[in-house]
Amino acid sequence: MTPTAAERKALTKGLLQLNENMVTLAELSEIAIRKAVDSLARMDGETPHEVFTLDQEIYALQIEIERTCGDLIALHAPVASDLRTITTSLKITTDLDRIGRYAKDIAETALQLPPGSTDWFAKLPGLAKMMDLTIEMVDTATDAFVRRSAESVRNIAEVDDGVDELYEDTFHAIVRYMDDESLTIEVGSRYILVARHLERIADHAVNIGERVVYMVTGERPPRVRAADRRAEAGKRP
Amino acid sequence: MARAPETSEEGASISVEIPQAPHALEIEDATIESRGLSIHYGKKPAIRDVSLRIPRRQTTAIIGPSGCGKSTYLRAINRMNDTIPSCRTTGLLLMDGEDVHGPNVDPVLLRRKVGLIFQKPNPFPKSVRENVAFGVKLHYRVSEAELDEVVRAALEQANLWDEVKDRLNEPALSLSGGQQQRLCIARALAVEPDVLLMDEPCSALDPIATAKIEDLMFELKKDMTIVIVTHNMQQAARVADCTAFLYLGKLVEFSGTRDLFERPQEKLTEHYITGRFG
Repeated sequence: MTPTAAERKALTKGLLQLNENMVTLAELSEIAIRKAVDSLARMDGETPHEVFTLDQEIYALQIEIERTCGDLIALHAPVASDLRTITTSLKITTDLDRIGRYAKDIAETALQLPPGSTDWFAKLPGLAKMMDLTIEMVDTATDAFVRRSAESVRNIAEVDDGVDELYEDTFHAIVRYMDDESLTIEVGSRYILVARHLERIADHAVNIGERVVYMVTGERPPRVRAADRRAEAGKRP
Repeated sequence: MARAPETSEEGASISVEIPQAPHALEIEDATIESRGLSIHYGKKPAIRDVSLRIPRRQTTAIIGPSGCGKSTYLRAINRMNDTIPSCRTTGLLLMDGEDVHGPNVDPVLLRRKVGLIFQKPNPFPKSVRENVAFGVKLHYRVSEAELDEVVRAALEQANLWDEVKDRLNEPALSLSGGQQQRLCIARALAVEPDVLLMDEPCSALDPIATAKIEDLMFELKKDMTIVIVTHNMQQAARVADCTAFLYLGKLVEFSGTRDLFERPQEKLTEHYITGRFG
């Protein structure tokens, strides 16, 4: 049956609630990354614990969103854009939850690094750039979800290529410092992990972007390898 | 341009245009095809310039709000509208490339090839066996032994044989609603139709009886083309390969069912299936 006016009203109310929770989840995930990065730069010992709390809040909200989506599907049998919004929300919550987990891992690293490691943070400019770009990507992707804008995330995979390149550069820079023994293996390895976590966060931002395109347009954007994308870009006049 | 009324999320009244050129799936092998089909009851248009190709050995659902013309379109296929004096049909309606309104077409023979199942089960006030045998006796000369075989085969095909094999001589009206509907399907199947038209076949049935009819449709489409009119969108989504959406007698969209319910091409379809009007 097509939904009656009353059923439509109830579905709309449920979708609005879902959207509010999704916006909150996106905000919490973004704050978690910013604080995680901040904790690494400041090494203050307190900020990581704020990230741990955020990670718990993100997880709890993810569960609530899953329940809301389940209820909406079971009670309203949604179709078309309603269905796409719900399935996309379900998928994106997983990405945002993973982003929260990586933020927690970065914050843990801040606690594990020996005092004085902040100097090294300053000597790895690629890492700082990765942080900025990754935060920007998450911001763009979640904003596209909130505004239902497919256009703003069309080239997010290209931005991710930049993050991947920075990861490679940072990795090799850290290995060089470890080679000449100006950086200990323990500290160097932890920085490599931080870079890896940031690179994974950027991948989740790409996932969110792809899903927003599907939610808004119904099209599933093809996944293109970075090398193929570069080759294609090289052909353009 | 005609517009569909609707209510926005905020409750304000807005409207959506009915597209001039409907989005229509390309069908290579069609059993039924309408070209510019229009049907009027007196002066009132019920179907307006509908061109549609219904794919062979697939199930096609026709959806739309009450009064959109979906039953009229369905009944046109086996010329049941001929029985309504004020009904006037223009345009072409082809079955296997032949005009169903052609001078050489006998409506009785056409209805043998195109069975119709109604909303409410309508068995004859006769026995189970006589119901299934009725059409066969009308169209063919067969012995009683042959008739027994035909009756059994049709009842088996309709997934009803096991339930009625010991009740063949009992009145058909003593069966449950779901069994009566499957009996009507068996009655249609007994004369080996190429097309089965179903007009809201499950609206009077409970969920279990509905599931049996839907299972049956999956079996039957291996051998015939099925067209189902339904108000139940979930049913259309479950059983149909393609879905046509009619509004105010016009075809708005004809798409693969999955596409239509996941990412409709027309805004009007989106608004109808999500309950924003209708």
